[in-house]
Amino acid sequence: MNKDLEHKFVTELQDNQNIVHKVCTLYTNDRDSHNDLFQEITIQLWKAYPKFRGEAKFSTWMYRVALNTAITLYRKNKKRLDTADYESVIFKIKANEYDDTEEVQLKLMYKAVKQLGDVDKALVFLYLEDKNYTEIADTLGITEVNARVKMNRIKTKLRTILNP
Amino acid sequence: MTDDLELLKRDWQKKEFNVPKLSYDEIHKMIWKKSSSIVKWILIISVLEFTLPHLLYLIPGASDALTFYEDIGISKYFFGLSIFYYVVVLYFIYQFYLRFKEISVLENTKTLMQKIIKTRKTVKHYVIFSLANAVLIFSIIILGIYLNNDITNVLPELGDQLNGISPEKLKISLIIGIGLFGLVFVAFLSLFYFILYGLLLRKLNRNYAELKNLQI
Repeated sequence: MNKDLEHKFVTELQDNQNIVHKVCTLYTNDRDSHNDLFQEITIQLWKAYPKFRGEAKFSTWMYRVALNTAITLYRKNKKRLDTADYESVIFKIKANEYDDTEEVQLKLMYKAVKQLGDVDKALVFLYLEDKNYTEIADTLGITEVNARVKMNRIKTKLRTILNP
Repeated sequence: MTDDLELLKRDWQKKEFNVPKLSYDEIHKMIWKKSSSIVKWILIISVLEFTLPHLLYLIPGASDALTFYEDIGISKYFFGLSIFYYVVVLYFIYQFYLRFKEISVLENTKTLMQKIIKTRKTVKHYVIFSLANAVLIFSIIILGIYLNNDITNVLPELGDQLNGISPEKLKISLIIGIGLFGLVFVAFLSLFYFILYGLLLRKLNRNYAELKNLQI
């Protein structure tokens, strides 16, 4: 692989690294695993990069590779998340300024999202990233209807958690 | 209450993650690191599975086994079986190679999982075939001993010690000994394979089940 390609890749990944960090935040529970998954995603992205011809935006292309790595290729099983870890996990994410109720609600929601299965998490992640159902279905390999139905169920579930 | 998720969405998109941003050099270093993906592990383990049984022939003493087969009169069956075995093994390796090449991180999640499972299935079939082959070999050896009328000649090195034992008794103990060894050997290998793959594919299987559950 030539130097130009390498340089182009690293620059693009550096600019878009937030997407990978978000995936790692959702799928791992401690700093070491976060870095480990980040590295595996980077390796997979780089291996696939020669096939990326720029027909999509670099970031769009990243979602698929990053999620595939987190859900399927990454081998290590996550440790069970014990309650003591929650604070550090959730507030790996910096709190924005909110009033107390909203802050509490958000905490609860992040906690609930972290407890979803790997595939459900991917669905929520893409939704939060403002992807439409066509893109979500296409990334996961399910139908749009299934993606919609499942997302609605997750929404209901999250709402029950917030308003018991 | 429909705004809950909108709140989460807004918050999520605004988030700056409290993890150190990686520098150009840090990312650059990462791209040359070794992958530890499940696909890589399947490849490593499969290559071991294809090669290890064949390395057994290099162990000193394995050639003695060949004379042993000759002595008990089964070497021609053994030879025929070996040819058949290697033809099938080559076929498996070829299938494995084709399927392995098809795995791409650019597929959608479902297809990717299916392709990995398909590749793994090829290996599984190979393992089952190999174990069946081992069972067959042990059976042929046992049959060979059973049909052999001059069993004391087969083990000349034991010559003197065998004097007191009747050939019938020797035959039966040989059959039982080899039979038990064969049983333990096959059982141990199957246990090893299935535990190994069970652990390796646990997460993949769980997520594949979750994905399939999404389909109504």
